[in-house]
Amino acid sequence: MLENAWLVPLFPLISFVLLVAFGRQLKEGAAYVGIVSLLSSFIVALGILFERLGHDAENYIQNFNWLTIGDKTLTVGFEITPLNALMLFVVTLVSLMVHIYSKGYMHGDERFPVFYTYLSLFTFSMLSLVISPNLLQAFIFWELVGAASFLLIGFYYFKPSARSAAKKAFIVTRIGDLGLLIGISLLFWQVGTFEYAGVFEAVEQGLVEPGFITLTAILIFIGAIGKSGQFPLHTWLPDAMEGPTPVSALIHAATMVAAGVYLVARTFPLFEASETAMYVVATVGGFTAIFAASIGLVQNDIKRVLAYSTVSQLGYMMLALGSAGFIAGVFHLFTHAFFKALLFLTAGSVIHAVHTQNIKEMGGLGKEMKITRAVFLIGALAISGFPGLAGFFSKDLILMSVYESGHVTLFWMALIAAVMTAFYMFRLYFLVFSGKPRHNANVHESPKNMTIPMIILSLLAIFAGYIEFFGFGEWITNNGVIAEEVEGPKWIMYLSIIAAFGGIALAWLMYGRDNKVKTGEPRGLHKLLFNKYYIDELYSTVVVRPYTIFGYVLKFFDKYVIGGLVQLSVWFSKAIGKIGSRLQNGQVQAYGLITIIGLVLLLVSLTAGRLLG
Amino acid sequence: MMDSIGLLTLITFSPLLGVLLLAFVPSNKAGTIKLIGVLVSFIPLILSFVMFSSFDSTINGMQFVEDFDWIQIPLADNAMIEFKYSLGVDGLSMPLVVLSAIVASMSAIAAVNMIKKRWKEYFILFFLMQVGLYGVFAAQNLFLFFIFFEITLITMFFLVGIWGLDKREDAAFTFLLYNGLGSAILLISFVVLLMSAGYYEGANGTTIFTTDIQTIIFNLNNSASPYELLGVGVSDAIKYGVFFALLVAFGIKVPLFPFHSWILKVHYQAPPPMSMILSGVLLKIGAYGLFRMNYGFFPEITETFSTLLIILGIINLFYGGILAFVQEDMKMVVVYSSISHVGIIILGLGAMNSFGFQGAVFQIVSHGLLASLFFYIVGVMYNRVHTTKFSELGGMAKTMPFTSGILLTGALASLGLPGMSGFISEFLTFLGLFENRPILAAISTLGVVLTTVYLLRSVLNVTYGPTAEKLTHVSDARSVEMIPMVVLVGFVILVGVYPAILSEPIQATLQLFLTRIGG
Repeated sequence: MLENAWLVPLFPLISFVLLVAFGRQLKEGAAYVGIVSLLSSFIVALGILFERLGHDAENYIQNFNWLTIGDKTLTVGFEITPLNALMLFVVTLVSLMVHIYSKGYMHGDERFPVFYTYLSLFTFSMLSLVISPNLLQAFIFWELVGAASFLLIGFYYFKPSARSAAKKAFIVTRIGDLGLLIGISLLFWQVGTFEYAGVFEAVEQGLVEPGFITLTAILIFIGAIGKSGQFPLHTWLPDAMEGPTPVSALIHAATMVAAGVYLVARTFPLFEASETAMYVVATVGGFTAIFAASIGLVQNDIKRVLAYSTVSQLGYMMLALGSAGFIAGVFHLFTHAFFKALLFLTAGSVIHAVHTQNIKEMGGLGKEMKITRAVFLIGALAISGFPGLAGFFSKDLILMSVYESGHVTLFWMALIAAVMTAFYMFRLYFLVFSGKPRHNANVHESPKNMTIPMIILSLLAIFAGYIEFFGFGEWITNNGVIAEEVEGPKWIMYLSIIAAFGGIALAWLMYGRDNKVKTGEPRGLHKLLFNKYYIDELYSTVVVRPYTIFGYVLKFFDKYVIGGLVQLSVWFSKAIGKIGSRLQNGQVQAYGLITIIGLVLLLVSLTAGRLLG
Repeated sequence: MMDSIGLLTLITFSPLLGVLLLAFVPSNKAGTIKLIGVLVSFIPLILSFVMFSSFDSTINGMQFVEDFDWIQIPLADNAMIEFKYSLGVDGLSMPLVVLSAIVASMSAIAAVNMIKKRWKEYFILFFLMQVGLYGVFAAQNLFLFFIFFEITLITMFFLVGIWGLDKREDAAFTFLLYNGLGSAILLISFVVLLMSAGYYEGANGTTIFTTDIQTIIFNLNNSASPYELLGVGVSDAIKYGVFFALLVAFGIKVPLFPFHSWILKVHYQAPPPMSMILSGVLLKIGAYGLFRMNYGFFPEITETFSTLLIILGIINLFYGGILAFVQEDMKMVVVYSSISHVGIIILGLGAMNSFGFQGAVFQIVSHGLLASLFFYIVGVMYNRVHTTKFSELGGMAKTMPFTSGILLTGALASLGLPGMSGFISEFLTFLGLFENRPILAAISTLGVVLTTVYLLRSVLNVTYGPTAEKLTHVSDARSVEMIPMVVLVGFVILVGVYPAILSEPIQATLQLFLTRIGG
């Protein structure tokens, strides 16, 4: 099965090509093309996962020559490791759920087939990124997932807000990609290959200077910062919520944004070789976790709250990896994919029903939408770290890893962020589902093709955490090759339970009891958080505006200085032309002829002159 | 003699068949004229594919060589001057001939809808220009090169001056002035080369003066060359002088900052099919000349000044990129984008290694395809709404989804999205630069962000957002109009996904080029 891993991305590619060619004719039948292809991919991915789970299973790698330049050959291929076998499973599963869900959610949209075309392109790129055995190929598909994400964010192209969100997402992530590009280029000339294995070998053998390792690791991490929405390149992700909600679930919660985390995990040996790089990863992750969570406390758009939550949770994963908690980081990536996709799909179900994203215009939806309410509650409990649900186990492991690594400040930051997480999730829950309705919509539960994927994901949000008890850590690290398992003191677990309950209780006190919605302008700290620490405004003032002004200055220079010189010479030659006006007969044809004859004569006479003289 | 006419001669002069046919068609028979215009343009295209498929990638020198005595002028003192008719292509010029044929045939299709008057004269001039186009890349003799070069210049002068927009004559004049200046410098350089390094010893001790490129390369780079035997040498002053003269001459064509002003006016006024030719291939003559002559004749001087080249490349890349960002007109964005993108070619040349050289050739081809695609789409838009200003455009995706999709695809290719040609050229160039000049390389990669910023701004302004009033009642591209879009994007994707199709034929030649440094 492992040697057929290339089939996994192939099915969505076929679906993409078919939909580009025949999408218009297929209309809403396009959904079936997408769903069947994803189902096939999922089955193959499942087979791969089971085979790779076997006791004597080994990593599989296959390479083909792609491009030969000078004495270097660049290859493409695929590999199967525990990490990417797991990723294949997660991506195909969530993507399949989203494909099914979208059939209901996007029903009636005139660009329905286009939506599925983009989804296929995204899924193909994401799966190809995951099975890449080298940094170049990873970079190629890294860029392609970015492009697919751009297309999907801008799906409602006629909305100016969607247009600017798509543009912003592309540009901001590209700044991060630049770091990645520089990082892999430098590594290539140092170790002579893009292959992960070759890079790690060179690092292990001490062929690369420590300073150089730090530099390249941080450059690669800059790429991950962009893709995973980490501070300071997080600004695009909340805006990306302009895309259709199923897209937010798939791309901007469960899979693509996790690609940054995946990349750091895949190149973990490189990071591990540099203490500085690890510290940078941990600090950026820890800061992002609390920073984004604090913004999420006060936002009123249901999707934006979830978006900041995603940024915050990705920060957790980075924090774990930077604290040498490889298992914890990957584990959280795994569980988060399910409950965050679930939360977005339930948000979509809610938006589908009330046609608004503002939680202040919702309320009391639990009565009519029993399934949505139940699965949202499961998702909220899972992400809050409620004991026994998926998020509890992975978050606990992260806290352990951070504590064991000795980053005390980061540990407490993570714990406070955990309280915030529980708070903003249950603020959502109470404001959306309980209390009295604050809307006039005629609410119905969503159709089956939307609720069934939600139910499946909710089951995973409950049970996915239990893999910890079946040797997950040992398996994912290749029996401890990549990293060690971490054991921490028991009190951390109790503390994390207290954090979860504390946040939920606070949310209940403020929003659950009397279900009041505050009105009026936010003030003080609330205002700062509501305006997202004014980061967008800062970038606009410091980067965008100066750049634009510089552009206009340069435009002036180009027009009047450079262009002026041209005008001067044109004027000059015209003046000469007037002197010799007797030669003019007013026809451009004659000029041309004279030019060529003159030049040929010049050539001959010059040559002859030199030789005879 | 017929059986000895080679493939390259056929490619170069087959457009004359069109001139011949058109001579018998009355000028009011527009349909017939256009049909001939398109069909005859496909002859060189098919022949160039034949050449491509029979090209031997393992040979690093010239192939399909044709060498005939042409002009011989006997001189005193047992000497003579000869101009040979010699054609040939190597890994550098072969892709350019193919590119020219692709762009020219697409331009012919574009002309069907975009040229609205005097079709007969238009196509006759267009065919003549094609002769110059193929000839300039195939010529192996400076004299011949110059003649073909001048043919493109003069025909283009008329094509812009007669069929352009309302300020066409002014634009044509600017074009002729700048390019005339360039060719004058080129001519002087060639003469100096002929006098200083263009001779060899023929039979009976005759001294034969020649403008044969290979002879000049040999003489300039070989200490045991005939001129040593004759007791004259090429001084460094001459070498440096010619190097810089060629740099300026080709720099005007490329165009390099600060010689770029002419293309602003010319592109804006030129009819779209001619903008396609101009940016797609004519400007590439400059880049080709830098490789073939600046580097070919003076590899060591080029290496000495590689930092200068890289800086020139970065200036172009940034200057064009920043200015493209503040334009209010789609057409001007495309023009400044062209200036920005040729910077990559210069960067690749400055990298002085196989990655850089490969990247530069990839960029020549990639930008040739993409620039003509952009000018074509802008032309398709202009044909419908008679404006290219952002203030009057927007939301084109609603009424013209196909054209908008192609425009967006082109933009993504142009900003270096993998899977398309732009990625390969940028990636190889940057990677090449990183080997020896990591700092300059890192600076130049910033160009990628600038490109993303201006391309998304402009393309999304046109295609996304609420549909502008002018665009509410237009129809999408018709099937004939779709052909150039599909073909050009097809090649862009082909090169992007399967880059070996280009890298293999050019590999041997570029390796030979590289061995000349320090050799």
